[in-house]
Amino acid sequence: MPYVYCDPQLCTGCRACELVCPSVHERVFNPRLSRIRVVRLEFVIDIAITCRQCENAPCIAVCPSGALRKSRTGLVEVIAERCIGCSACSEACPFGAIELHDGKVIKCDLCGGDPACVKRCTPKALKLVSSEQVAEEERHAYVAQRTRKEVKA
Amino acid sequence: MMPALKGYAGQILRVDLTRGKILKRPLPPDLARGYIGGSGMGARILYDEVPPEVKPLSPKNHLIFATGPVTGTIYPPSGRYCVVTRAPLTGIWGEAHSGGYWGPELKYAGYDLIVIYGRAPKPIYLAIDDDEVELRDAKHLWGKNIAETTDAIEKEFGEPKPCVACIGQAGENLVRFACIVNERSRVAGRTGVGAVMGSKRLKAVAVRGSKGVEVADFDRVCELAEESHERYTTGEWGEVCQDSLYRYGTLGLVDWENEIGRLPTKGHQTGVFEHAREIGPERFVREFVVHRRSCMNCSIQCKKVSRAREGPHVGITEGPEYETIVALGSNCLVRDFPAVMRANQLCNLYGMDTISCGGAVSFAFECYDRGVLSKEKAGMPLRWGDGNAEVKLMKLIAFRKGIGNVLAEGMREAARRIGKGSERWAIQVKGLEVSGQDGRPHQSAGLTHAISVIGAAHLRALSSLDELDYRKTLTKRFGKERAKAMGDRLSTKYKGLLVKDVEDLYAVVDSLITCKYGTMWPPMFYFNDYAELLPALTGIEEFGKVKGLRIAAERIVNLKRAYNARLGLDRKDDTLPNRFLKDPMPDGPAKGKVVDLKPMLDEYYRERGWDVRTGLQKRKTLERFGLTDVAQDLTKHRRIAKG
Repeated sequence: MPYVYCDPQLCTGCRACELVCPSVHERVFNPRLSRIRVVRLEFVIDIAITCRQCENAPCIAVCPSGALRKSRTGLVEVIAERCIGCSACSEACPFGAIELHDGKVIKCDLCGGDPACVKRCTPKALKLVSSEQVAEEERHAYVAQRTRKEVKA
Repeated sequence: MMPALKGYAGQILRVDLTRGKILKRPLPPDLARGYIGGSGMGARILYDEVPPEVKPLSPKNHLIFATGPVTGTIYPPSGRYCVVTRAPLTGIWGEAHSGGYWGPELKYAGYDLIVIYGRAPKPIYLAIDDDEVELRDAKHLWGKNIAETTDAIEKEFGEPKPCVACIGQAGENLVRFACIVNERSRVAGRTGVGAVMGSKRLKAVAVRGSKGVEVADFDRVCELAEESHERYTTGEWGEVCQDSLYRYGTLGLVDWENEIGRLPTKGHQTGVFEHAREIGPERFVREFVVHRRSCMNCSIQCKKVSRAREGPHVGITEGPEYETIVALGSNCLVRDFPAVMRANQLCNLYGMDTISCGGAVSFAFECYDRGVLSKEKAGMPLRWGDGNAEVKLMKLIAFRKGIGNVLAEGMREAARRIGKGSERWAIQVKGLEVSGQDGRPHQSAGLTHAISVIGAAHLRALSSLDELDYRKTLTKRFGKERAKAMGDRLSTKYKGLLVKDVEDLYAVVDSLITCKYGTMWPPMFYFNDYAELLPALTGIEEFGKVKGLRIAAERIVNLKRAYNARLGLDRKDDTLPNRFLKDPMPDGPAKGKVVDLKPMLDEYYRERGWDVRTGLQKRKTLERFGLTDVAQDLTKHRRIAKG
């Protein structure tokens, strides 16, 4: 299952993703409603965090009302009418990628497969990728780093 | 409460620090219709509420934080706010702009502007959490620097973190060019707005908001935002934006300005710095940049975090920007890049404007060099190019120790105190230290410095159209015949018109509020773009026509001018130091040139409809822009031109 991945080397913390997300979902300009949130630590950390669509999602496991489920495509999705607003999912998620708003849970739904945040990301830090693709990129980065001297020579 | 107008939060927060009273008032629709937002609205309030007898550091002076209809929306870049006040550095109209996240957060909390007056009996800070607004004790924060203050307030608020705009020790000590710093490194820098905050014993304004911004035509705003984003990131302009600003930040300018002989060097004595490469963009990126950053919702992303790993100035800072690298680098003849970074960091921590602070340092260096300032009086040798001395001066200025106490008054006053002819190399206009341009190789920049309403700044009216000869754009805006003369940066022809046009455009930009990147450079947005955007944001039809928008722009420019006129300013103040008017440029492509100010100034006044002899405004000009009441007021003060 692909998910929205953020490369912290590229993320500048501009929060355009936080504005785009609710503009698509709720048609408002309000970062508080965003399903993707930027974390900044001084001086060199900026990273956007959103749902990773986990294969064994802890949020689904702890939800007492069956309001979260894995869809046929692999998306972790919300059945809003079943949500009782207990925040157990927020406690369970290791990344802080799911929370309540106005008493109901909101989380990344990948905009139906073409995430608006990815399209709008100026530094191209956000990508829609699968675990396989991330691993491939990491392998390349790792090898390039390990062999930098040899490559240069 | 429903906002009266779309695009605005719909409320003004008025804070009386003397009485500890907080009032929420609806945003008057006429204020929005007449003055758009940002520094435009600020101008109207300051003109009406701060009469000429109120001194800048008096409790009666107002400190206005303002956002505009773009702030907090998806239209990039939308992360800006401004501070408007009667400025302590210059004694006249003062405004300073900043980016970051603070401006949007204020709107999300439900306020377009904060108007602050009075003086608190003891140090306090203003805490805004949506509808809950209170003054909190800041005794424990007094004496703390920007980072410490921000950290402490963030802790007090808890999660989600608020945005904090605060002053450092420089603001507390009433350093005349103290600034206000938000999110640790974004700075409302010029004219000493931080000293006004310090005089009010207001340490910080912390904001947390959850409400979002409503606009008139949501789909249209999204569409225009998408189009704006495309312009910033793709095509001819988008590519240069990304190549230059994303890669190097504003610092990318150093090489180019040195090439055209416009890199202020050694107290503006020359425009060519032989060691420019050592403080240039290639070295910056290669050796120091460790991370890239941005303001809220920006499609350019020019901010850099830099780090010096070794030597005496080890440390990490955001910046330095072009203006800082000039003010604290080439203009002080300092080529020790880490020293400039350290000075920049200290300015950010103590809360001082790097341009004016750098001006003070170069002034001190020149005083020392010319034997006007002794080693004993200065407390140390102040030799041109000594980065370590520069770094030491930062602390002395911020804490007003020794020579720092004199320099903290700003160049104009420092020259008065030191005397011995030192005003000849106090390179300031109207009391404001000259920013990183030189009118000799770029004539219109000379006019910009001379007429700028806050003093010698670049952000009120600087044109890149002639600097880089953007002939296509010039032709489109002014016609082929004029464009040819305008494109020559060494010519004075039509520069009055050019600067007037740019100043009007920036009046809109500063009221929206959006970034000068996109208007100043690259010149890709113009009145027609904002005439499309503003009605979609606000629903105000008058802004939908370029003509209507231009009238609003001229109204704002005239109002700010009237504020200064009422204080006694006129043509005699619209001038430049003799260094630009009389000393020929010694090096570079503009060798032998001086600024030929008079013809440009005459043309500028004519284009504005002001009296050419005195520079005062005419009644009929003010009436044309709906400023009849201002005309009456100026008549009462005898500060209006005849006819």
